[in-house]
Amino acid sequence: MSLLELKNVYKIYGDLHALDDVNLKVEKGEWVSIMGPSGSGKSTMMNIIGCMDKPSKGEVLLDGVDISKQSKKNLTAIRRDKIGLIFQQFHLVNYLTAVENVMLAQYYHSIPDEKEALEALERVGLADRAKHLPSQLSGGEQQRVCVARALINYPEIILADEPTGNLDEANEEIVVDLFNKLHSDGTTLIVVTHDPEVAEVAQRKIVLRSGKITKVEENKNFTGKIRFDD
Amino acid sequence: MFLRMIRGTLFRQWKKMIMIAFTIALGASLASAMLSVMLDVGDKVNQELKTYGANITVVPKAASVIGDLYEIEGGDDSSAYLKEDDLGKIKTIFWAFNIVDFAPFTNVEAELPDGSEIDIVGSWYSHHMELPTGEQLDAGMESLRSWWELKEGSWINEQRASENDNGAMIGVTLAKRLNKGVGDTIHIKGKAKEMDLKVVGIFDAGGEEDSKLFTYLHNAQALSALEGKINSIEVSAITTPDNELAELATKNGPSSLTVSQYEKWYCTAYASSICWQIQEAIPDCVASPVRQVADSEGAILEKTQLLMILITILSLIGAALGICNLVTATVMERSQEIGLMKAIGAHNSSVSLLVLTEIFITAIIGGVAGFFAGFGFAQIIGHSVFGSAIEFRVMVVPIVAVLVVVVTLIGCIPAIRMLLGLRPTEVLHGK
Amino acid sequence: MKKRTMFFRMITASLMRRRSRMVVALLSIAIGATILSGLVSIYYDVPRQMGAEFRNYGANVIFTASGAEFDVNDVNDGKDVFDSDDVVGVTPFRYENVRINEKPIVAAGTDPEGIKKTSPYWRITGEWLSSDGELLVGANVADTFRLKEGDFIDVYYTPEGSQSADENGERAVVEDNIKSFTVAGILDTGGKEEDYVYMTLADIEELTQADKGRVDVAELSISLSADELADVVDKINTAVPKVHASLVKRVTASEATVLTKLQALVLLVTIVVLALTMICVATTMTAVVAERRKEIGLRKAIGASDMSILKEFMGESMLLGFFGGILGSVLGFVFAQQVSINVFSSSISFRPLLLPVTVLISMAVTGLSSLMPIRSATDVDPALVLKGE
Repeated sequence: MSLLELKNVYKIYGDLHALDDVNLKVEKGEWVSIMGPSGSGKSTMMNIIGCMDKPSKGEVLLDGVDISKQSKKNLTAIRRDKIGLIFQQFHLVNYLTAVENVMLAQYYHSIPDEKEALEALERVGLADRAKHLPSQLSGGEQQRVCVARALINYPEIILADEPTGNLDEANEEIVVDLFNKLHSDGTTLIVVTHDPEVAEVAQRKIVLRSGKITKVEENKNFTGKIRFDD
Repeated sequence: MFLRMIRGTLFRQWKKMIMIAFTIALGASLASAMLSVMLDVGDKVNQELKTYGANITVVPKAASVIGDLYEIEGGDDSSAYLKEDDLGKIKTIFWAFNIVDFAPFTNVEAELPDGSEIDIVGSWYSHHMELPTGEQLDAGMESLRSWWELKEGSWINEQRASENDNGAMIGVTLAKRLNKGVGDTIHIKGKAKEMDLKVVGIFDAGGEEDSKLFTYLHNAQALSALEGKINSIEVSAITTPDNELAELATKNGPSSLTVSQYEKWYCTAYASSICWQIQEAIPDCVASPVRQVADSEGAILEKTQLLMILITILSLIGAALGICNLVTATVMERSQEIGLMKAIGAHNSSVSLLVLTEIFITAIIGGVAGFFAGFGFAQIIGHSVFGSAIEFRVMVVPIVAVLVVVVTLIGCIPAIRMLLGLRPTEVLHGK
Repeated sequence: MKKRTMFFRMITASLMRRRSRMVVALLSIAIGATILSGLVSIYYDVPRQMGAEFRNYGANVIFTASGAEFDVNDVNDGKDVFDSDDVVGVTPFRYENVRINEKPIVAAGTDPEGIKKTSPYWRITGEWLSSDGELLVGANVADTFRLKEGDFIDVYYTPEGSQSADENGERAVVEDNIKSFTVAGILDTGGKEEDYVYMTLADIEELTQADKGRVDVAELSISLSADELADVVDKINTAVPKVHASLVKRVTASEATVLTKLQALVLLVTIVVLALTMICVATTMTAVVAERRKEIGLRKAIGASDMSILKEFMGESMLLGFFGGILGSVLGFVFAQQVSINVFSSSISFRPLLLPVTVLISMAVTGLSSLMPIRSATDVDPALVLKGE
C-alpha cells in the first residue's frame, strides 16, 4: 500500500478547477517534487496533502486513512502526528529561540524534550545557534530551524512548500543536502518548488498545469545532490 | 493618487479603521462627558446646597445696629422696618439671575385667649411673582425651609390664598402646647386687631421655629398694624466661593478696592458683592452673608470641583493612553504594507503623510462621534443625579479637539518611527 | 520536560521578548485597573471625606436639659454614647443676662476650643477667645459700644433676687458682680450670635458666682449620616436621663440630601469612566491578539489543537491581566491617596478587598476581550493565514 494516494481529487472554487481529477501515489521513503507555474494548483494540492484543506471530490488516503472524510479536529491530529511542514516564509515564532521553536512542535505532538530538540538542531548544523531568536538568524539558518522543527516528531511525510524560495544558492544547497540526509534516513519527502534545480534532485518530478498532472518524470540518475548545469 | 490610496485604506481596511475610530470615539466621549460634568458640577452642587436655606439676610439699617438690644416695639420707628414694596427690587440687581429664592418676614407678638403670648411670623410660602423681566418665580418658605418635616396637613398654599387667607402653620411644640390639629381654629389677639387663624399644617423644624405660628405676611402685618412693613428678608443666592479679593472687600469695604478690583469684585457673584448690590437696591438696609451657610457652601463647592477635576484628569489620561496604545498597535501592524511602499520607492515623508492623514481622518470621525456620545453621557449623569440637564459648554469642544489631535499624534510617533526604520527587504521577506 | 513547563516557558518568552507590544498591552490594562481601583476607592471614601467637609455647617446635634438643669458632666455622659472617632467637637453654652455700659446684653459662657470645631464658620476680627479674662464680642454689640480688639471693658452681672424690692418698697443696694475683660476679637457670623458676647465658662461662673457647672445647651458636631445620628440620639435620650438630645434638622436633613447626590454623582461618573476604559482595554487586547493571527495559523499548521492555542493565548492574556491588575491597584491607590490629600487633606484607608477584585476584573476583561480574536483566528484555515496577506 502506498503511503499517500490521491484518487480522482478535485478542488473547485466556483468555476475554477484548482485541482482537476488528480491521481497520485507516493510510496514510503520516496522523494517527490511538484512543479508548475503559479495558479497551477500546487498550493492547493499541498494544502490538501498537509491536511489543511479538504478536496471537493475524491479520496486522499494517507497511511490508509481517507483524510477527505475526517473532521477538522482529526485533521489537526493527523497533521500533528504524520506531517512535517516547511514553509517558504519559514514561519518561526519570532519571540521563541531556535530550540524553543523546535520544542513547540514537540509540545503540540507529545512532550517537549530540550535534549532531543537540540539534537535535531545539531542534525541541521545549528547546535551553536540554538539560543538565538529568529531575528538573529540568517534566512538559511531560519529555514534549517524550520526543517528541524518539521522532522522533530519523526513524521511520515515532510511537506515543503517552496523551501528555497527565499534563499540564496549556498543556503539552497545546504537545505537540499538536508533533504538528502532525511531521504537517506527513510523519510518521505514532497517538495513543492518553482526552482528546476531543486526539482531535478528528487526521484520523481511531477508537473502540474491548470490543476492537472501533465508530466511525471522519473529521475534515472538520482544522487540526492544538486546538479549544477553550468 | 494620494487621495485614492487613502480612500483605499479607509474602505478596504475599514475594520481596523473602525476600531481606531471607535477607540478614539470612546476616549473623546469620556473626555467630553467628564469635562461637561466637571464644568457644570459647581452650579449643580450649588443648587443642591440651596437646601441649607438662605445664605444672605437683609435687615433694616437701624435694626442691624440696635437689634433686639433695645427691644424696640413695632410701629414706633419706621426706619426699623423694610418696605414690602421694595421686595421686587431684589430681582433687579446685577446678579438677579443668581438669586434663586427669597422670602420676607414680619415677626409680631400676639396673645392667645388664655392670655399667654405667641410668636407670629408672616411670610411667603410659594409666592408667585411675575417680574418685569418676564421671568416667573415662586419664592418663599417652601423651598427656603426644605428641611421642615410636615407632620400633618400641608404647606400654606398661596395660589389659593383668596379662598383661605386665614391659613396658618404651627410648629410641633406649639401644636402640643395648644393641643390643636389641622383644621382647628386659633383665636389671636394682636396689638391692632383680632383674628381667627385656621391650622393647615403642622411642621417639625428641629429648632426654635417649632414654637411659632406661621401665617400670611398680610395677617401678621395686620395684627400689629404694620401694613407694608417687614422685619427681614432671607435670600438664597448662588454664590462663588470667596477668594482673596472677596476677603479684601469684606474686610476693608468695597471702597478700599482699586477700580479694576472693584469691577471684578462687583461682577463676580461673591456673597459680599451680592449683599452690596442688595444694599444698593433697597434703601436703608443691611444685607449680610449668613456665614454658616455661605462659608460651608464655598468649602463644599470647592472640594467637589477639585474632586471632579482630579477624576477628570485621571480619565483624560486614561483616554489618552488608551488611544495612543491602539493607534501605535494598529499602525505597527501595517509594517508589511508600508515596507512594500518603501520598496517601490516611497519617501519616508510621503509614507508618514499617508499614515498620518489616514489616522487623522479616522480620528476626526471618531472624535466627532465621541464628542456627541460624551455629551449624551453627561446628560444621563445630569438627569439621574441632579434631575436637570448639563449645560453645553463651548469650551469643551476645543479641549476635546486638541486632546484628540495631540493624543493621536503622540500615538503615531513610535509607530511612524518604527515604520521609517523599516528596511523594505526584511519586511517583504516576511519576518 | 513537562508540558506545563513548556507552556509557561512559551508564555514568559512571549511576554518578555515581545516587550514593546506587551508593554503596550500591560499599560492599557494597568490604566484600566488604575481607574477601577482609584475611582472605587474614591467612591467609597467620598461620604466619609465629604461628611467631614459638611461639618463646616457646624453642630448637627443639640443637647438640652430634659429636666430643669444639666451640667458639664451630663454633656460628657451624652457625648460618650458616640464613638469618639465620630465626635468632631462639643461645645457647652451657658447664657446669662449681663450689662455693659448699663445696657442689657446676653453673655454666653463656652469652651473656646470646642467652639472652633462646632462653629468653624465664625469669622473673627482679632483673636479667638483663648483664655480667661477675654471676651469675644458680637459685631452688633461691638458697633453699639464702638469696641475694638484690645479694648478693656467691665461686665456687670446682677445676682438673682437682688433686684427685688424689699418690704419697704425701697430698692436694696444693688450688689452687682463686676469683672473686667479684654476684647479678644469681634465676631461676625451673619446670625444672631452677633448680638452676644462670649467668654469662657470659668469666667461666667466667676461673674455669676452661682450654679457651678451649669450648662443651658450643648452643641455637638458629629460625623455621622442623618440615619445613624437619629439612632444614637434615641439611644442618648433613653440612656442619659438628664440630657435631651435632638437633631438640628436644617443641618442633618440638608446634608443627607446633598451627600446622596454627591455620592450618586461619583458613582455614575465611576460607572461611565469604567465602562469606557474597559472597552478601551478590550479594543487594545483585540488589536494585540489580532496581530498574531499568523502565529496562531502556524501553531495550527504544526498540529496545535484549537483548545491548546486558546489555553496558551488566554494564559498569556490572563497573566497580563494579573500583572496589569496588580500594577493598577497600586497606582489606583496612589491616585486615590493623592486625590484625598489634595482635596480633603486627609489620607484614605487601604481597602484590602479592592486588590483581588481589581485583579480579577482586569483578568476577566483581558481574558474576555482576547477570547473573541483568538476564536476568530483559530476558526480560519491555517493554510489561508500562512499564505495570505
